[in-house]
Amino acid sequence: MYVLGIESTAHTFGVGIVKDGEVIANERDTLKPAQGGIIPREAAAHHYRLAPMLLKAAIDKAGIKMKDIDVVGFSQGPGLIPALKVGYQVAHLISEKYGAKVVGVNHCIAHLEIARKYTGLEDPVMLYVSGGNTQVITYQGGRYLVFGETQDIGVGNLIDKIGRKMGMPFPAGPKIENMARSGRKYIKLPYSIKGMDVSFTGMETFVSRIIGREKSEDVSFSLQETIFAMLIEASERAMAYCRKDSLVITGGVAANSRLNDMGEVMCRERGAVSKRIPLEYAGDNGAMIAYTAYLMKDYRQRDLTIKPRYRTDTVEIKYR
Amino acid sequence: MKLMAMGSEASVYSKGDRVVKIRKRKGYRLNEIDAPLRKSRTRMEFGIMKKCYSSGIRVPAPLKMKEEDCSIEMEKIEGIQFDSKFSTEKMKELGEMVAKMHRAGVVHGDLTTANILLTEKELVIIDFGLSEHTAKDESRATDIYLLKNALKSRHKELYEKAYDTFLDSYSGSIGKEFKGINAHLKDIEKRRRYNEDY
Ligand SMILES: Nc1ncnc2c1ncn2[C@@H]1O[C@H](COP(=O)(O)OP(=O)(O)O)[C@@H](O)[C@H]1O
Ligand SMILES: [Mg+2]
Repeated sequence: MYVLGIESTAHTFGVGIVKDGEVIANERDTLKPAQGGIIPREAAAHHYRLAPMLLKAAIDKAGIKMKDIDVVGFSQGPGLIPALKVGYQVAHLISEKYGAKVVGVNHCIAHLEIARKYTGLEDPVMLYVSGGNTQVITYQGGRYLVFGETQDIGVGNLIDKIGRKMGMPFPAGPKIENMARSGRKYIKLPYSIKGMDVSFTGMETFVSRIIGREKSEDVSFSLQETIFAMLIEASERAMAYCRKDSLVITGGVAANSRLNDMGEVMCRERGAVSKRIPLEYAGDNGAMIAYTAYLMKDYRQRDLTIKPRYRTDTVEIKYR
Repeated sequence: MKLMAMGSEASVYSKGDRVVKIRKRKGYRLNEIDAPLRKSRTRMEFGIMKKCYSSGIRVPAPLKMKEEDCSIEMEKIEGIQFDSKFSTEKMKELGEMVAKMHRAGVVHGDLTTANILLTEKELVIIDFGLSEHTAKDESRATDIYLLKNALKSRHKELYEKAYDTFLDSYSGSIGKEFKGINAHLKDIEKRRRYNEDY
């Protein structure tokens, strides 16, 4: 059985194919605006432009034909409306033309499922950190529930905003990570934990004021150390509260090795395990949508439109 | 001392009719962040426990604090964590307790059913590590929001009834200040939903 999955919630357009649940293709392209964050319409234009090419690349990589596709999954949300529409249209087009069944997939759940698959962890707490999303999610009573999250902006957005103020190109994550390596001085920054939640707006204001007055290396270092400690603390609190003993970190920010190191130390100290997932499956990608659509292949969904504010905990998980 | 429990950030040891809660160094956190954080949380927790205790809010009697090892010695409560034997009937009592705590100028900061102990006769609030001395409506609303989320995620089947019972009792006890708190509560929820939209 072949399942094709399309990811288009934000600035990445991805096409993945799984054969009987195993990934056989994962093609993608990410829009990198010259400056600033994502402009929804530009993201959509990028997706429209690249969709045909990425579809073909994935099909070729898999060594199959379009008509071999049994199920086509797409990211229903959460995400940017114009970007989501592209995935929606492409999926429905493939369905009409080649008779594939359409499955709507929750983007956050797809991150979690692909993480479970590649780490082999049965029931982890997932720290999901990307541009717009910062959530601590785990499985409880037939659903994926959000235990902790940001009370304001996503951690990726915070990093990008601060990076921009320091004159770095988007996305600023890798540059900040690099700079942080040569940071020596810790500048005290606001540490804001509220129960299992985190908050970043105070940080944004504070750091904006010290940029230019302190060395960029030290700012980057202090920023990373503080915000990652907050995220790992929130994860630990969720693990304690839900009595779970494994952690997986995913999303675009999971590419940061300092964050992963901190997660590992936290787990070790509390007798838990933490595993890394291959980078290819940490950022937004089509394979995770295809894989999750494969898990959901027997679902009967009445609403196959886009859901820009799709909440993780509204999806009933019937395959676990 | 025998290890009794590992909480969300501390280790709790049994010592006769007392317990000792110790915040140990977190290896993942830079020492410059970790050390002051553990110290200030320990100090804050002890101070707030004293304030609550003397205001007649049911918390373990705070006995001794040591800053060197970030430890607090307190009365041992013979009971279990409320989340492991949750019931909606107790929510009325909890609403009154939280209102009383808020009126005493304390916001808990980590109000979950794991931070409430259930004894044979009553509920006891513990774990004031993230607490604050404040009477701000917004902070009070955050407390309620956290509790609501904790109920929703951990006690899904009973959540609605439990939360309604709690809120009824809380608003009745806190009185006319509820209006402002409720406005902030709505605001927090709106902001959160907005974030899901990026
Ligand atoms: N005074 C006490 N009496 C009995 N048990 C306690 C007491 N204080 C804490 N505990 C036990 O230890 C656990 C962790 O304590 P808590 O203060 O919540 O620490 P943490 O901040 O690490 O979550 C509690 O859930 C409870 O089971
Ligand atoms: Mg606790």
